[in-house]
Amino acid sequence: MANTRMKIVESDSDRWEAQLRKGALEMAALASLWNGRLYGLEIIRFLETHSRLVLAEGTIYPILNRLKTDGLLTSEWVEAEAGHPRKYYSLTEAGRIRLREMARAWTSFSSGLSRLLEPLFKAEEIAK
Amino acid sequence: MSSEQQMKNYLDALRLHLSHMNLNEREEILKEISAHIRDDAEMGTTMGTILERLGPPQELAAQYRDDLLISTASRSVSPLRLMRAALRLATRGVFGIFVFFVGVIGYAMGGGFVLSGMIKPIFPAHTGVWIQDGHLVASGTQFPGVIDPRAHEVLGMWYIPLLLTAGSLTLLLTTFLIRAALRTSQKWQMRLQQKGVANPGRQIESLIPRS
Repeated sequence: MANTRMKIVESDSDRWEAQLRKGALEMAALASLWNGRLYGLEIIRFLETHSRLVLAEGTIYPILNRLKTDGLLTSEWVEAEAGHPRKYYSLTEAGRIRLREMARAWTSFSSGLSRLLEPLFKAEEIAK
Repeated sequence: MSSEQQMKNYLDALRLHLSHMNLNEREEILKEISAHIRDDAEMGTTMGTILERLGPPQELAAQYRDDLLISTASRSVSPLRLMRAALRLATRGVFGIFVFFVGVIGYAMGGGFVLSGMIKPIFPAHTGVWIQDGHLVASGTQFPGVIDPRAHEVLGMWYIPLLLTAGSLTLLLTTFLIRAALRTSQKWQMRLQQKGVANPGRQIESLIPRS
């Protein structure tokens, strides 16, 4: 009984974490393009090395597609030596503006939340 | 199964699940995903791992579908596309249900008017607007014998241009109403997402792929 409940709690928190990552992914994808154009796989590798946002890699493509529809990104096909063209994405001016807004909001949000959670970590340290 | 075959199967399945999209959009997506697979394979990742990391083709397709359906429909004039997007919107709330019904009623009325205008030349004596003693007694196409012989038809052949115009206007108005509603819903969602940065619960909700 307790075991089942434990499992439910675990799967709930797994789901919560997966959703949190997915929500942050949009901002992360924009941020990865701050220094210049990249293609899909480069964006994924960039996110892998700079953050721990790893999830189903396919997820990034529909997000890039929507960010493009929203006018935050542009894309172009570039012939590569690999023998097939690659789709490169770059930030538009609107994308840069939006990313700055997002970053500002995110920073104030996460520092506020960290303060909120501080007592929790302190309690854990004492328990140890 | 060879890795080339595995890749082909994956792309075929993806194409199948994206079949509702227009050809250009679909081929663009497939081209991008196949470039991803080839690039990743050249880096030495095994085909099985690549495809597993991409996620099942139907899930990938579902993530594209919801985002694109509403945004492309809001620029479309095709009743089929608009109604499909309205139906999708209807699953999200009361506003969507209202939009869907406006669509159903608008298209039915507009289509009915146009159809009636086209039937007039086929059954000229039985199609029209009848008035008796200053009251409207019947309109549209009626079976012989239904209408009181004392009633008289008032529009004559004017019935055709009148109904065709009224029908076209109704169809046009319905199209614009749905497009405006879809665009409004997009704005709401965008605002939700912007606010979502300060309130991740909301943003997450709007980003969960609905399959």
